Amino acid sequence: MSSIEPLTLDVREELRNGGEPLPRIMAAVRELKDRQPLRLLATFEPLPLYAVLGHKGYSHSAKHLGEGDWEVLFSPGAEHGVTASPVNSPSPGDDREEWPAPGTFIDNRGLGPPEPLMRILDTLEHLGPGDVMQAINERDPVFLYPELEARGASIRVDKRDDGVYLLIRRSAA
Amino acid sequence: MISNRLSRWTLSFFGCALLNFIAAQALVIAGVSWPAQSWAAPGTLVAVHLLTIGWLLLLMLGALFQFVPVMTSKMLPSQNAALAALVGVEVGLLGMICGFVALGQGLPGLAHCLPVGGGLVIVGVLIATADVAVPLLQARPLPLPGRMVLTALAFLVAAITLGLLMTFALTIPLLAPYFAPLVGGVGYHILAGLGGWFTIGAIGVSYKLLPMFMLAPEERGPVGHGVHYLMAAGFAIALAAGLTNLWYGSVALQALEFAGYALVVAGIVLYLFDVVRLYRTRKRAAIELHNKAAIGAFAMFAIATLLGVAFIASGTLAEFLPVLIFVLLFGWLSGLGVTQLYKIVPFLTWIGRFGQSLGRGPVPRVQDLVAERRGAPWFVVYFAGVAFAAPALFGRGPDLFRAGMVITAAATLMLTREYWRAWRGYYTARQSATAPAPTRFINKEIPR
Repeated sequence: MSSIEPLTLDVREELRNGGEPLPRIMAAVRELKDRQPLRLLATFEPLPLYAVLGHKGYSHSAKHLGEGDWEVLFSPGAEHGVTASPVNSPSPGDDREEWPAPGTFIDNRGLGPPEPLMRILDTLEHLGPGDVMQAINERDPVFLYPELEARGASIRVDKRDDGVYLLIRRSAA
Repeated sequence: MISNRLSRWTLSFFGCALLNFIAAQALVIAGVSWPAQSWAAPGTLVAVHLLTIGWLLLLMLGALFQFVPVMTSKMLPSQNAALAALVGVEVGLLGMICGFVALGQGLPGLAHCLPVGGGLVIVGVLIATADVAVPLLQARPLPLPGRMVLTALAFLVAAITLGLLMTFALTIPLLAPYFAPLVGGVGYHILAGLGGWFTIGAIGVSYKLLPMFMLAPEERGPVGHGVHYLMAAGFAIALAAGLTNLWYGSVALQALEFAGYALVVAGIVLYLFDVVRLYRTRKRAAIELHNKAAIGAFAMFAIATLLGVAFIASGTLAEFLPVLIFVLLFGWLSGLGVTQLYKIVPFLTWIGRFGQSLGRGPVPRVQDLVAERRGAPWFVVYFAGVAFAAPALFGRGPDLFRAGMVITAAATLMLTREYWRAWRGYYTARQSATAPAPTRFINKEIPR
């Protein structure tokens, strides 16, 4: 553990307003002093960030603060590369292979049906072959599964207190 | 494909149901039915069965064919069964209408239309019941809405069985002596149908539909189960005690019947309390029109419950029963029906039409299929018509009542036009499609 006081960045307000906090997060990372950790406050567990900062040599530890608030501590130096996803309850028939960390995230909480479905399928269309996206829904998306199947995409579902966490992978072909 | 998850015949059920609803209202307005005619007049029997079998039953079955697979994540055993049920119920209903008219006109040659038509309706209902009961019985765990629908289906079978036995008593001389007491028990046929089947079924479906579109917690906890058990036990006790009382009259059975009603009232109060809680804990700030308008139906349900308690307490239930039945049929059940159709029709239309093109270019939103400003006034008019007609029944003013029905029927016609427009894409054609959804945390820094 680093003894240096972490730099705290709170992007919850921005996320709730539908903003794009990645530039601010990257700016904060550039400002970090040597061996200084980053303490990030978000409205969900930001899986795509693990990939981004993992590549820059940061490891992460996430904590659910309740009420949908998350605290993630990014510490430098511990590990390199992409970490395994914590959303790891493969659906039946899943080959349990390791997926790449998601590069795209959409938060569908607060949206009525069928908007979450529309946004996921729209986003999926913009992924590269074999890429993974993360989405958080209010409800188990029963209408989504057959659509993903028809498109050759796979899904991993994790029902949590603050929403249904989905990892969706576009077919590699 | 999403379209595989669509019930192919649900919109046909809704179309037939609306036509029957409009026909029933036309009969009342034309004065060939109660209250201008007596309760037993053929015109009344035709209007009542158009309303209950033609409108509410087809509406509910059509909705269940769509929602049971969503509730249970299981497919229906057969889509064709839905079509068979629709044809059976609608043709059977026409046969029953024929039979009622024959009874009134003294045409014994056509009298068998009634049992034959009724038999067809029963075959249709049993096919539908089996088709939706299979996934409900297979689902583990079965959520509350599904449990309530199963309970409601049991009361549906009870209601049609009672109706059939009554028909035997009226039309088959050989059987008449055995079932004669039942002829005086029409009230229990109504209780099983209107209460056990339609009301418990509507509450069950509302427990799925309301949270789904308002993003309120679907888990209703002990309150939701309390509503279910109180109403199921209440209606079952009242029915069993009341029916037994027809053969072996006793004060104790009467008391038991009223104990059943007390449980039902407790269940309704708990449900209405839970509906308020549901609206208050919703996550979507804006309430869509169909759920705003549904508040009118819940208010009518509360009014009907108050009226029922007042009538029982004052010993005037027999005298004012028509008022109670009218408010329940038109205010509560039909009211909930016309409001929820305003969402279900565009939703199903949207999935059927745009499901396959999702993610492959811009598509309209579901809300783009309706124009809420055009629909909203007609919900006000609908409930205003019911509120105007109901008091007229106290004063036995058939003309005032019919005036109220004209208002309600006008609103029904205009709302039907709005459903039609949603289905035809009338409003979508006038709007541009929305841009693709925004995404966040798009990571362009990792090389693929």
